[in-house]
Amino acid sequence: MNTWLQVLTLDLAVAAGAAVVLILDAIGTVSGRALGWLTAGLLAAVLGASFVVDVSGTVPHGVYVSGDWVLFFKRVFLIAGMLAVLGSIDWLAERTPRRQAEYYALTLFSLTGMMVVPGARDWVLLLVAFELMGIPLYVLAAWAKTDGQPQDEKLGPEAGLKLFVTGAASSAFTIFGLGLVIGETGSTAISALPAQPTQLTFVGMLMVIAGLGFKLGAVPFHMWVPDTYQGAPTPFVAFLSVAPKAGGLAALSVVTLTGWSAHQGLWATAIAVIAAASMLVGNLFALPQTDVRRLLGFSGVAQIGYVLIALGAGSQEGVAMALFFIATYVFTNLGAFLVVHAAAQASGGHETVKLAGLSRRTPWLGASLLVFLLSLAGIPFVLGFWAKLFVFVAAWRAGLSGLVVLGVVVAVLGLFYYLTVARSTFMAEGHTAEPVRAPMGLKVSIAVCLAAVVGLGLWPRPLVDEANKAASSFLQKR
Amino acid sequence: MTLASCLILSAAVLCVGIYGLLTRKQAVAMLLSIELMANSANMVFASYGHFRGGPSAQVFVLFALAITVAEVAVGLALVMLLYRRHGDTALDLASEARQ
Repeated sequence: MNTWLQVLTLDLAVAAGAAVVLILDAIGTVSGRALGWLTAGLLAAVLGASFVVDVSGTVPHGVYVSGDWVLFFKRVFLIAGMLAVLGSIDWLAERTPRRQAEYYALTLFSLTGMMVVPGARDWVLLLVAFELMGIPLYVLAAWAKTDGQPQDEKLGPEAGLKLFVTGAASSAFTIFGLGLVIGETGSTAISALPAQPTQLTFVGMLMVIAGLGFKLGAVPFHMWVPDTYQGAPTPFVAFLSVAPKAGGLAALSVVTLTGWSAHQGLWATAIAVIAAASMLVGNLFALPQTDVRRLLGFSGVAQIGYVLIALGAGSQEGVAMALFFIATYVFTNLGAFLVVHAAAQASGGHETVKLAGLSRRTPWLGASLLVFLLSLAGIPFVLGFWAKLFVFVAAWRAGLSGLVVLGVVVAVLGLFYYLTVARSTFMAEGHTAEPVRAPMGLKVSIAVCLAAVVGLGLWPRPLVDEANKAASSFLQKR
Repeated sequence: MTLASCLILSAAVLCVGIYGLLTRKQAVAMLLSIELMANSANMVFASYGHFRGGPSAQVFVLFALAITVAEVAVGLALVMLLYRRHGDTALDLASEARQ
């Protein structure tokens, strides 16, 4: 049996990495770029260690349970963190050369919080881990405080404040709900729910679900998404658009499926409503967007709707497919944002028209953007197609036919705006023919995403198996 | 004084907070509203701790306080930043249809 220190090895390694980055910066002998590569290397090392070191086990009092489920999420977070850090290195070195170490340290702290969330089985630990994930993100969103075009000057702090206001309000909402749940049950264990919950407990449960939906960017807490995506530094948005969503999914599944598994009738409806609203709002609001970041933001709201369908199914297949979907989403969306970042750095803007002629300027970037967009849209034989298909099949088998039909209809709608961007990239005449020069870190990051999307799109089996293993270990140990 | 009346009071404070958050345009007033919401949650814990006893509610409220303080520290810094950049702390939350 592992001691609790061994169970938390990976999380502690990431937290220690943040401390090391800060100390190295204080000593002042290491350049910012080197710190970035060091951070990415550290995350790669921890990712490698997750395959070698045995971290399964339970912390005393059952507060934290580790296993295949937790490992799946930890790997997703580590990969997202690593790719996002690689994509940020040069942007940071150029735009904010005097505060690079803090960026990496805050990313690592946020990752530490995320990595604890999927294993938490106690409200106190879950809430603290969830906030440890969230608070550094508020700071990172306002990172570009002096950058951007003159008319964009306000966007940086506004991006951070909007994320903060929605985040703090939703966490106050969650804590209020928790007050009712914990007060009524008299225990902080997530699984401590009586067979017949009182009405107050039920109200509390709904408030908790709604509050946790914020990190997912699900309706009704999605207002921050477009403005924050537009104002925050794009490499950070690449991270923000995937990792905290996986964290929110982890928290929501832990809460609904471990603690409240006996009361599926109560929460499944709430999840289904949120899923339907997210798909509709996300896809409809994405249609008129001209800024690619805002467009991808709303598309992310819609994608989360699909994940929630799978979660709402409540079956083992549903959970597994939600995991598969979120893992594919990490590669696809991160890759898309990084390509847009590279193109915008060279063209001076994130509007769709600025991407015009990208495929002629730099063919491999244009081709990768096309692959990512097709994957997000769910065109057959790209990774995103399998993700959507599996989610719909799982939901159909669980009897959620209405949601599946709605999902398919709005997915067709989604095709329209994804292809608008693709058309601009490939068909439109660019205002310049100058090739886009992507720095090393960005290139590596985009190439990894591209390899994953194409490779797993052709052969999704290994990832599906992993997701199934994770889901079954999760549902057995609850 | 009963548990029910305390819970109604907390819910009322929560609603005042939400109302302020939705109607105010100044970031400082929004921060105040968020504080109201957070403290209404703490009042729920305090009421249960007082009327039902047991350690869990009272322990939890300490964690909730610490988290809120950490959040507001970051929030105030962001408001300062917005003021320095813009000379004003107006914040428009409902601009989602902007293109």
